[in-house]
Amino acid sequence: MIKHENEPRLMKGNEALAEAALRAGLQAYFGYPITPQSEILEYFTAEAPKRGCVVLQAESELAAINMVFGAAGAGARVMTSSSSPGISLMQEGLSYMASAQLPCLVVNVNRGGPGLGTIQPSQGDYFQATKGGGHGDYHLIVLAPSSVQEMADFVFDAFRLAEEYRNPAMILADGALGQMMEKVALPMRGSLPYSEKKWATKGKPETRERNIITSLFIQPESMEKVNLGLQEKYVRLRKEVRYEALHTGDADILLVAFGLSARICQKALELARAQGINVGLFRPITLYPFPSEALAAHASRASSLLTVEMNSGQMVEDVRLAVNGQRPVHFAGRMGGMIPSPEDVLKQIEILAADRAVMQERN
Amino acid sequence: MIRGTIEVAEEICKGCELCITACPQESIALSERINALGYRVVALARDNCTGCVNCALVCPEGAITVYRLKKEAIVKNPVLAEGVSS
Repeated sequence: MIKHENEPRLMKGNEALAEAALRAGLQAYFGYPITPQSEILEYFTAEAPKRGCVVLQAESELAAINMVFGAAGAGARVMTSSSSPGISLMQEGLSYMASAQLPCLVVNVNRGGPGLGTIQPSQGDYFQATKGGGHGDYHLIVLAPSSVQEMADFVFDAFRLAEEYRNPAMILADGALGQMMEKVALPMRGSLPYSEKKWATKGKPETRERNIITSLFIQPESMEKVNLGLQEKYVRLRKEVRYEALHTGDADILLVAFGLSARICQKALELARAQGINVGLFRPITLYPFPSEALAAHASRASSLLTVEMNSGQMVEDVRLAVNGQRPVHFAGRMGGMIPSPEDVLKQIEILAADRAVMQERN
Repeated sequence: MIRGTIEVAEEICKGCELCITACPQESIALSERINALGYRVVALARDNCTGCVNCALVCPEGAITVYRLKKEAIVKNPVLAEGVSS
């Protein structure tokens, strides 16, 4: 359990995340500046050396993720952060770490793409974050905050999950969450115990065999064994699913959204309910593992679903898989750094509500 | 009416547009200028600012400074005086 300070502070998402990481006992940070997450590196540069944490601005994102690889192999609590184009550069290292089963935290403050794109908020990296991102059969553990408070809290959750399951974890935020200032009760130091990593490579004592960390298993038999181990781990991970359900009990139209989109949907929900349209909101907090079973249960009470994302429709595929044809799943979204307004979402809700009224009349 | 103007510290502005929403006079807009971080910065787009300070209060970065023009300055300056009457 995370203990929080009583006195809240007004902080930027990026800074709250960095401060929380130091309180979570971060031992090393390697990164490379990129808007809209540069404040994380800047905060660490100012604060980390005073608090016994190694901080280094690498020469590139490639170098940064491989420094993370090395530190994680030595058993350190380590993280890096970047934004979309930088995260793409890190994919090779992430695939290696997933194969070598090393815990670390990667923060992606998502910006508009593809390519160098824009610096405005986007959720276009959902596929990359949840489906692996690099080569091979692997997944990251992905948490999606939707407030500055969660930007801070999820650092603790991500490190706990990463270390417990020996798997890289990602916090998938977006440019707005990184840049906006909100009230935050910072988690207290000591909320996350550090357990000795028996598998770490930091000198062989007489008492045990060599520890080997590698992602190269040249015999297909041994590579398959590693893969089976990973898949077994992902099944175990399913018990860690987290989500938030708002007004889903009497919801006729169920909104499904994560991160910033969920905040927008919350406002749209209030506007719709003021008009007498029963709208609910389902917010996946863990994007991997995806809360499929919970979503299916909540969806069974609604007549239709509307997924809202800041992309061309990525999570909507997981929503459709979860609902498995039982309910129609619609999509609304904007791309490239544009943010849908609550009124935009409300308009879509009104169309669905009108359709439903017509259908009921026919019956 | 009181006349005012704003000064935007462009290197701090992140183009979040909160000031645009907060301005009762609709005096502020996103400019075409881009700062070192890559953000489009805000600027005074119309000269009907009343110096109400709403923009500076909502700015999360503290990037806006508001100035109010002295009454005498408006009376003495024919250009400003004209602006007031219109």
